[in-house]
Amino acid sequence: MAEFIKQSWLFPVIQSVHIIGLTMLVGTICLIDLRLLGVGVRGQAVSNLAAALAPWTSGGLMTVLATGPLLFGADLTRYVNNPAFVLKMGFLGAALAAHFTLHRSAVRDEAPLKPARQKFVAVLSLILWSSVVLAGRAIADFDLA
Amino acid sequence: MSVLQLCEWIQEAGLSRIISESTWGYPIVGALHVLAIALFGAALLIPFVQGVELRWLRRVGLTLILASGTLLSASSAARYYNSTFFRIKTLLLALIFLNAITTRHERKKMHGAIALVLWVAVIFASRGIAFL
Repeated sequence: MAEFIKQSWLFPVIQSVHIIGLTMLVGTICLIDLRLLGVGVRGQAVSNLAAALAPWTSGGLMTVLATGPLLFGADLTRYVNNPAFVLKMGFLGAALAAHFTLHRSAVRDEAPLKPARQKFVAVLSLILWSSVVLAGRAIADFDLA
Repeated sequence: MSVLQLCEWIQEAGLSRIISESTWGYPIVGALHVLAIALFGAALLIPFVQGVELRWLRRVGLTLILASGTLLSASSAARYYNSTFFRIKTLLLALIFLNAITTRHERKKMHGAIALVLWVAVIFASRGIAFL
């Protein structure tokens, strides 16, 4: 199966779905972060915006988590030897940890964080998720084999 | 001068060679390209979700995508010119442009949906470029 994915048109198709998932996941999180920072995104309370976008965010997360391991499994040795991939996994771990703890509390209605804290969380979230995307794209450029 | 010769001339230009010959040029511009896609994609989804107007973010995202995309294509113009998927992608982008300029307020939702479908197709075509 892994060999089949690696050799066939399935690989770029799964990659495409992965990119669509990443757009939904990272794009919607960035919108919430921009709203937290008060940059451009207005007209909605943070909690309303986060709730409205939540299905897209989790849909995106499920999509990347379903397609990512397929791509990884199709070419294990390529990825474990790729420095950009290793870096990406590090950033991904940190981004997910921050998302389900700090980011959660920054968008909630009850017991809201101080605005300065919210902004700090937003900047951290933007940096971590951008790093995941930047390192992910760089995998193609840093194949050692 | 043929189109292929034009492409060869483009990829020999100073800025194209900075990108194709440096270690970090292509990776950095390529990464910015994907990051801008994430922002633009989310801003495209919003009209389907809420009454939040994000025209500025779509503009900023699109500008970044087009600027980085132009640099990337210029850096190996002749290779892209010969790529079937790159040609399909160019055609899809032209359709997106047509869809955008023919949008009327009373048909905004339909044009938005068409744009979304075309952009998804663009992503598939783009991965095809790297694959073939």
